[in-house]
Amino acid sequence: MAQEKMLTGCSAAAQALKLAEVEVICSYPIRPYTAIMMELSKMVANGELDAEFVHGEGEHAQLSVVLGASACGARAVTGSAGVGVTYAFELYSPVAGGRYPLQMTIADRTLDPPGDFGSEHTDAMSTRDQGWILGWASTPQEVFDNTLMGYRIGEDPRIMLPQMTCQDGYFISHIPDKVKLADLKQVKEFLPPYSAPHPISTTCPVSHGPQIRPDQGAPMDAQRAATFLDLPKVIKEATEDYNRIFGRNYDPFLEKYKLEDAEIAFFIQGAHSNTCRTAVDTLRKQGLKAGMARPRWVRPWPTREIAEALGHVKAVGSIETSTSYGGAMRGGNLIHELRASLYDLDERPLTTSFMAGLGGETIWPEDFEFMAKVLSQMVREKRAQKYVYWIGFEE
Amino acid sequence: MSKKLPEFGTINVPHERAVPFGAVTPAPVHVQELFMTSNWRIVRPVIDNEKCTRCLTCYIACPDSCWSYNEEEDVMEWNAGFCKGCQICIKQCPSDALTAVPELDFPDGVVRLEKPF
Ligand code: SF4
Ligand code: SF4
Repeated sequence: MAQEKMLTGCSAAAQALKLAEVEVICSYPIRPYTAIMMELSKMVANGELDAEFVHGEGEHAQLSVVLGASACGARAVTGSAGVGVTYAFELYSPVAGGRYPLQMTIADRTLDPPGDFGSEHTDAMSTRDQGWILGWASTPQEVFDNTLMGYRIGEDPRIMLPQMTCQDGYFISHIPDKVKLADLKQVKEFLPPYSAPHPISTTCPVSHGPQIRPDQGAPMDAQRAATFLDLPKVIKEATEDYNRIFGRNYDPFLEKYKLEDAEIAFFIQGAHSNTCRTAVDTLRKQGLKAGMARPRWVRPWPTREIAEALGHVKAVGSIETSTSYGGAMRGGNLIHELRASLYDLDERPLTTSFMAGLGGETIWPEDFEFMAKVLSQMVREKRAQKYVYWIGFEE
Repeated sequence: MSKKLPEFGTINVPHERAVPFGAVTPAPVHVQELFMTSNWRIVRPVIDNEKCTRCLTCYIACPDSCWSYNEEEDVMEWNAGFCKGCQICIKQCPSDALTAVPELDFPDGVVRLEKPF
């Protein structure tokens, strides 16, 4: 029987990586993700995990090391947080374009300046156009599960793409919660060994990462984009297998909480969705038909699923947890894609966005109450008064 | 939901335009025909075989390995597909055997090509 333990998100990630039998690990410290590497290094030192543990001299080096490892056919992992994520930026597109299905485990941290340790999703969200599979967990359990699902999806021969599995710093990374672990047997059934299609080897030499010509750029982009068209099918298969083997109940793309009859809904990813669920229950007790939709993956974006799940709702508020200064709504990023997903519906919900959960701030039940008031007012007035509300700074 | 939503469609890259998976190519090869990369050259080194002593300095100096020695004919050979025109070989040649000549002076000069090879 699989054990159940109280684990932080960081420990849960490390436990899943151990079960995935990662072969190459490259670390560089930056809190809050560092705890994942601390646990992995202990496992390697104690002989519980047979892996190469490499100390990178920075995040750029970390990504370079795991790129090389993955090119040689090893299951590789690295990770980071905050400005560490952005320091590695040059490597993201080559890793995805070279089709290296390595994993980067992220515990979010606010970007500098000037060095706020709190959680905010802007770090990993800013990599969303680099061709990676990208998504947020909402509990340590989901961190554990997404880590295993990430490899299965990314290493699928039809896909071969790197994955960024994210968790909110502190809220998930450092607060223990019950985590159902898994048996190695279950993991083996779910996750076949990684097989690189063209590994660097002395017997069959190949060259990775050459320069291509300008006229080869467009076909390469198109080939990468085509893979993202196949991705939802593979995510669905992997999630169904995961649910079956490990006894879970994940929706592949979108958690739908009390949406069937909802009149207003929150759209939110990551840890704050836990408070949001409670807020939905409280609002319902007060007679307001509230609901919540939580995307599990941002790339690929669940366009159709959002249209189907939220089409009937009267007003949807996107809770941003990341910034997009000067963007279309002058707030965050999720609202852009949320609105784009709803646009083609005959009748679509009114939408607005709420800047909350920034810089490590908690989103309090009162904040959800305020947001619900705004959404209810939109329903009454049949219009949104503002594109964005900055929680804590509104009248 | 009454209206049918748009489809994502499919993306079909014709076989002849497809790039090898992950741009991985066989190696080692003398010349990597799949990826010629000299399309931004504005000058090229032209050799004077009378002055050249076959010292192979250019072979060592070129960052793109564009010079090689043809033993049978006893001449240095230049690879037009990868030379970026950086002129390092020209600076390094101890015998002044290499000169930088503008691409525009050649009928097949890269600046004249409609497509980069
Ligand atoms: S110009 Fe530069 S790239 Fe061209 S052959 Fe000389 S050294 Fe090589
Ligand atoms: S460096 Fe000059 S002299 Fe020497 S082989 Fe090259 S061209 Fe000839």
